[in-house]
Amino acid sequence: MEHDKIGANGLPMSRRGFMESVLSVTALGAAASVLPGLSQQAWAAGLPVKGYGVTTAQPKDWSRVTQSIGIQVDYTPTNADIGVFMRDVMGNDLTSTHDVFIFDGGTEDLLGPEGYYAEIDENHPELKLWARTPDSWKRSSFLRADDKQYAVPVIGNGDAFGYFPAAIDANPNGLDEVPWTTFFEGENVKGRVAIDRSWLQSMAETANYLKHHGRITVEDPADLPAEQARQVADYLVERKRAGQFRTIFTAFEEQVQLLSNKEVAMINCWEPATKEANNALGPNSVIYAFTVEGYYLWGHGACVAAAAMDRGNVDNIYKLLNYFLDGEYRAFQAKERGYAGPNMDLGVQYAIDHGWSKEDIDGLKWAEEKVRRKFQKPFFCKVVPEHADVMEEEWQRFLNA
Amino acid sequence: MTMQSRSDSPALPQRRPFAKRLLDGLKPSRLTVPTFLLAWSFLVIAPLVVIVLFSFLQVKAYRVVYTPSLDTWISLIDSGRWMAAVRTLRIGITMTIIEFVLAFPFALWLAKGCRSKTVKAMIITLLTIPFFLDAASRIIVWRSILGQTGAVNTALMSLGITDAPIDWLLYSEFAVHFGLLGTHFPTMVFPIFMSIALIDDDYIQASQDLGGGPAQTLFNIIIPMALPGIVAGIVFTLVPLMAAFVEPQLLGGGFVDLLGNSVNSALQQLKYPTAAALSTVVVALLGICLAVLVLVTRRRYDMASMFVAIRR
Repeated sequence: MEHDKIGANGLPMSRRGFMESVLSVTALGAAASVLPGLSQQAWAAGLPVKGYGVTTAQPKDWSRVTQSIGIQVDYTPTNADIGVFMRDVMGNDLTSTHDVFIFDGGTEDLLGPEGYYAEIDENHPELKLWARTPDSWKRSSFLRADDKQYAVPVIGNGDAFGYFPAAIDANPNGLDEVPWTTFFEGENVKGRVAIDRSWLQSMAETANYLKHHGRITVEDPADLPAEQARQVADYLVERKRAGQFRTIFTAFEEQVQLLSNKEVAMINCWEPATKEANNALGPNSVIYAFTVEGYYLWGHGACVAAAAMDRGNVDNIYKLLNYFLDGEYRAFQAKERGYAGPNMDLGVQYAIDHGWSKEDIDGLKWAEEKVRRKFQKPFFCKVVPEHADVMEEEWQRFLNA
Repeated sequence: MTMQSRSDSPALPQRRPFAKRLLDGLKPSRLTVPTFLLAWSFLVIAPLVVIVLFSFLQVKAYRVVYTPSLDTWISLIDSGRWMAAVRTLRIGITMTIIEFVLAFPFALWLAKGCRSKTVKAMIITLLTIPFFLDAASRIIVWRSILGQTGAVNTALMSLGITDAPIDWLLYSEFAVHFGLLGTHFPTMVFPIFMSIALIDDDYIQASQDLGGGPAQTLFNIIIPMALPGIVAGIVFTLVPLMAAFVEPQLLGGGFVDLLGNSVNSALQQLKYPTAAALSTVVVALLGICLAVLVLVTRRRYDMASMFVAIRR
C-alpha cells in the first residue's frame, strides 16, 4: 500500500507527482529561455534590488516603492559611521551581494576610483528624470570623483542642532538664527547639552564655530590638519571640563530619547530627531536651528556596485535610482523627516495629485525653502577627510579627558 | 563435581570491553594535556600572537600599511587612550571588590542559611536572568529611571528630599558602577555558592562544638574551604569587567570610556592596529591581575587543586 503524503492543496502527494512537477517546471524554464524576446533582463524583472546604507535614506515603508514602481527592495540599514561602511563595502565585499549603496556623499572619492562603484550611466533609459534634475544637486562634488559621476542625489540637509526655545529664551517660531556660541558656551544650558560622538560632525561643527569667531585659522573645517585638530580638541576638552556637556550620544534613537525625556536642552542631532520628539511632546516643542555660523552640509548619494552591472538586474537598479529623483520619494522624505532633495517641485505636485492637506503641501515647500536659506550660510562637509587619522586621534583625547 | 572443579579453578582475569580499556588508557598526562595545549594554542594563543604583531602596523586612509612601526603604540599615549586603560583597571578592580563584598554573604546564606529548596531554586533562577537577557535591553531601562526626569529624581523631588534633579545619577561613573553591579553579580555568586555548598556541615558543626565563634568558623573553616570558589568568582568577574562596554556606553554617556569602548571605537574606524594594541593592553593587565591573585593566595591555596579532577 502506498502511503501518499498530503500536499499543500490537500491532495495526496506521490513521488511520481513530485517528479512530474519538477520536470514541468524545468521544461517551462528551458522553453522560456529560448523564446524570442524573453531576455535575461526579463527573467530578472522579478529580482529584488539589494540596498545597503544609512537609515535616514530609507522610506518608512518600502512596500510603497514596490507599489509605485513594481520592484521589491531589500534594504539593509546601517548607521552613519564611515568606518563601518568602509569595512562592510571593502572588507566584507558587500558589492558581491548588494546592488545599491546609500551613504553620505564622499565615499566615491575612495570607492569610485578603486572600482567598487560603477559610473552612473546617465543615458540609461530607466533614469528618466536625470536630465531635468538640477545641476546644483546632481553635479555636486560629493557625488563625483575624478570628473566621473558615481552617485545619484537622494536627500540632503544642513545639520545644526535642536533646542528647546524656552531653555534659551529664543523665539518659539524657530525662524531666528541661534549662534553656536549658545551651544558651546551658553550658561543657561550648561550641563544640558548633548554632543554627537561622531567626530566627523562634531569636530567639523566646532572648527567652523571657532573659525567664524576667529579663534582658529583653517581652510576646511571638515578636514583638520594636525595643529587645527589639536586646537579643536583642546577647546572641546576645556568645555567638557567646564561641565557644558550632559552626554556624548551615539545613535539616532538616543537623540530622540534625550529630547523626548527633556534630558537635554540642546543637541547637535539630526533634524528627524526633532520631528520624532515633537510627535511625543507636541508641535514646535523642539526647534531645529537656523544658525549664525553655518551648517554641516551633507547629501546622500545612491551608488551602484560595479559588480551589480554584471548581475542582470540593472534595469531594476536604475528604476530605483530614478525613484529617488521622483516626486513620491521626495514628498514622503520631506514630510516624514524634513529632508530636502532634488526635484522638490515633483514632490509638491505628487502631494497635490494625491490630495494631501494644504498644511502638508506647505510643509514640502518649506523644506525646500529651509535648505535654500541654510545654504546662504557657510557650509562644510567631508566624509572621507584627508586628515581623518589625526582627527580621530584628537577626538579620542576629548573622549578620554 | 563439575561445579566443584569450576569453583576451585583460579579466577581468570575478566576481559573488559575494548571501549572501556581505551577510555581507561586516556590518562590526562598522555592525551588530555597535550590535546588541550594544542587546541588552546590554536584557538587562543595563535590569534593573540597575531594581535600583538598587528599592533605594530598602521592604518592610512582606511587601509592597513604593512610596515612595522611603533606609531600605533605612541598614539595610544598621545590620544589619551592610556587613560581608558587606567580607568578600566580602576573600575574593574573596584567593581570586583564591591561584587565580592555583596556576593559572599549572599552566597553563604544561599548555601547554608536558606533552608527552603523552593526559595533556593527560585533565587538561582533569578540570578540567571542577566545571562539570557540582552545587556543593552536590560541596561537602557535605567536611563528612564536614573535620568533628570526619571523615576528616582521625580520621587526625590516629590518627597521634598531634593529641590533639583540629581545629575550624577546618570551619565556618570556612579551610573556605570550601578549598571555593572547587576550584570556581574551572578558571576561572583555562583562559584562561591557552589564551593560553600560543598562544605560538609559537620565541619561547621565541629567548629562550633569546639567552641569556635561565628567569626572563627568563618575565617578558619568556611573561607579557606571556599577559596577555590572565591578565586573562580574573582576571575569570572574581573575578566569580563575588563572588556565591558555596554554599561559605560549607555549609562556613562560618553564620559566613562573604558577599554571596551575604545576598542569598539577603533574598530569602527577600521583602525585594526589600534584595536590590536588596546587588546594587548587588556590581556597584559589581566595577566598582571591574575599573577597578583596567584601570588596573594598561594600560601593558603594551591591553584592546581582547581584541576584536581584532571590530576586523578
